[in-house]
Amino acid sequence: MATVSNNNIARAIYLAVKDKHTTEQHTVIKNVVNFLFRRRMLSKSKNILQSLNNIVNHANGVVEVKIWSKYKLSHDHKDHLEKILKKRYGDKEFIFLEYLDDKLLGGFNMEVNNELIDLTLKNKIYKLQEHLKTEYE
Amino acid sequence: MNNHIVENLKKEIENFKSILKVEKVGNVIEVFDGIAKISGLSDVKSSEMVTFPNAEVGVVLNLEEDSVGVIILGDYSKIKEGDQVKATGRILEVPVSDSIIGRVVNAIGTPIDGKGIIKADNPSKNSGPSAYPIEKVAPGVITRQSVSEPVATGIKAIDAIIPVGRGQRELIIGDRQTGKTALVIDAILNQKGQNMICVYVSIGQKDSKLRKLQVRLEEGGAMAYTVIVSAGASESAAFSYIAPYTGVSIAEYFMDQGKDVLIIYDDLSKHAVAYREISLLLRRPPGREAYPGDVFYLHSRLLERACRRNEKYGGGSITAFPIIETQAGDITAYIPTNVISITDGQIFLETDLFYKGIRPAVNVGSSVSRVGSNAQIKAMKKVAGTLKLDLAQYRELEAFAQFGSDLDESTKRQLERGKRSIEILKQSQYSPMKMEHQIVVFYALTKGFMDDVPVEKIKTFEAGLIDYSEANAKNFYKEIKEQKMWSEKGEEELKKVIADFKKSFI
Repeated sequence: MATVSNNNIARAIYLAVKDKHTTEQHTVIKNVVNFLFRRRMLSKSKNILQSLNNIVNHANGVVEVKIWSKYKLSHDHKDHLEKILKKRYGDKEFIFLEYLDDKLLGGFNMEVNNELIDLTLKNKIYKLQEHLKTEYE
Repeated sequence: MNNHIVENLKKEIENFKSILKVEKVGNVIEVFDGIAKISGLSDVKSSEMVTFPNAEVGVVLNLEEDSVGVIILGDYSKIKEGDQVKATGRILEVPVSDSIIGRVVNAIGTPIDGKGIIKADNPSKNSGPSAYPIEKVAPGVITRQSVSEPVATGIKAIDAIIPVGRGQRELIIGDRQTGKTALVIDAILNQKGQNMICVYVSIGQKDSKLRKLQVRLEEGGAMAYTVIVSAGASESAAFSYIAPYTGVSIAEYFMDQGKDVLIIYDDLSKHAVAYREISLLLRRPPGREAYPGDVFYLHSRLLERACRRNEKYGGGSITAFPIIETQAGDITAYIPTNVISITDGQIFLETDLFYKGIRPAVNVGSSVSRVGSNAQIKAMKKVAGTLKLDLAQYRELEAFAQFGSDLDESTKRQLERGKRSIEILKQSQYSPMKMEHQIVVFYALTKGFMDDVPVEKIKTFEAGLIDYSEANAKNFYKEIKEQKMWSEKGEEELKKVIADFKKSFI
């Protein structure tokens, strides 16, 4: 028998709670916790929730965007980013999850759908260094 | 001058446009025993290189539904849960260039001999690409040609009875301490001036043993055409797993230049054990002897890369000498039988023979070369045919002779010939013998010139005969070197020289 992956469980949960009323959803969630307890899989609940979150987001056309920056981004910045992201990922709803990172010199890092877009100052300096190295070596 | 440099730099900086690159990333879920489980990394390929934050490199082995299994090539103690991992989009590759010859590198091609970096690029020499992927599909049927040129190992028992051709895969199998490594060192030492590049892949060996081997090769001048790839016993199983593939990629680099390469995998039993360790850690289902289901493919895809390419595809060849260490002589174990079935023959080394003083301890009865006889030179074929027969008859009669005392003359003669044949096949370590010398010795043996030489004096006779014939049978030697066969005239000359030497010897 094939191993049950976190993704399988998350998909099953999604299908079970989809189109259900709140009370029914509550029962399903209780059963899920029982199931995970019986199968000794409670330690995997964090990863299962993550998978469930991805499935729900995918179904609702929502994309999570994680941003690490030195300072909080302004609304204008975010609007501009949303326009760029829509070009790349299509007409979806983008949820920005912002994290402040003191280690950054400037610029920001962005992670969308397992893709990393490095727009930090450090990365730009590094690329310039590589460029100058190849030019002058 | 300084202003000029600053101006130039300023211009470069002003005109520099950074190209936006999107990288595929994932996060470490767990790390243990050189293995990392990673979430994310969508679109990553099997065998693709990934990088960890501390610049350590990993190779993707398992592609699961919601995670990726990676082997870490380096120090994994600093990698922690949640670390970001980047996909490189490249299959693991090894930097290669002509300057890798004479160097000792680790499993990822980084030099470990303290002689500095290996410059990968050499565009002025047009020596091909500088990085070779370690996993590659073996050359197809159309690009190959059959084995027809010999590999002179310098070991009499092999060159005469179990000949190996360029492009062949010949397994060396035996228990521990039977002289497997010694045999291949001799084969490497004998490649001097034979237009052959040697790659020695050490898998899970002690560093002291490797150092001894390197010194021995340096003393014999063999490092001038040899590369050593080492995955030591102190390194993680991941290194042992990829080392043979790195070795064969280096060999392919030289083969692509039309050169002949001899590659030695010492040894594939440890390679299989390393792969078993990785597979079990990656939770792949265990099969026979706890090896994973694809352990056959592990070795078959490696050994299939040994080949002889035809001229249309650039020529060149890779001859492989995989080594397998058996436990208590059990050649029916899983890995030995697998590798026996993949290779084009095997050389059996036996503990009993080794302790009887027959060294190299090659069991000529059980050893076989399936394609090598086509590569044997005509002269050697002629003398070796009789030798094989003599030895086979000796083995058969030896058992009977232990019971009966009354033996007829012809049986006694065969037994005596057999004893001398065994004695002649003995050879001390680090003393490979030239092909033409071997032919002279085997000629004298099979034509009965040694039948009345006492067995205990055979080795002295052999040494004397080589020196004497080299000085007095010049035409014979010339014919062997140039035409690979003797003429009637040359044969007469040799017969006379042997007879003369025998008179002075006895």
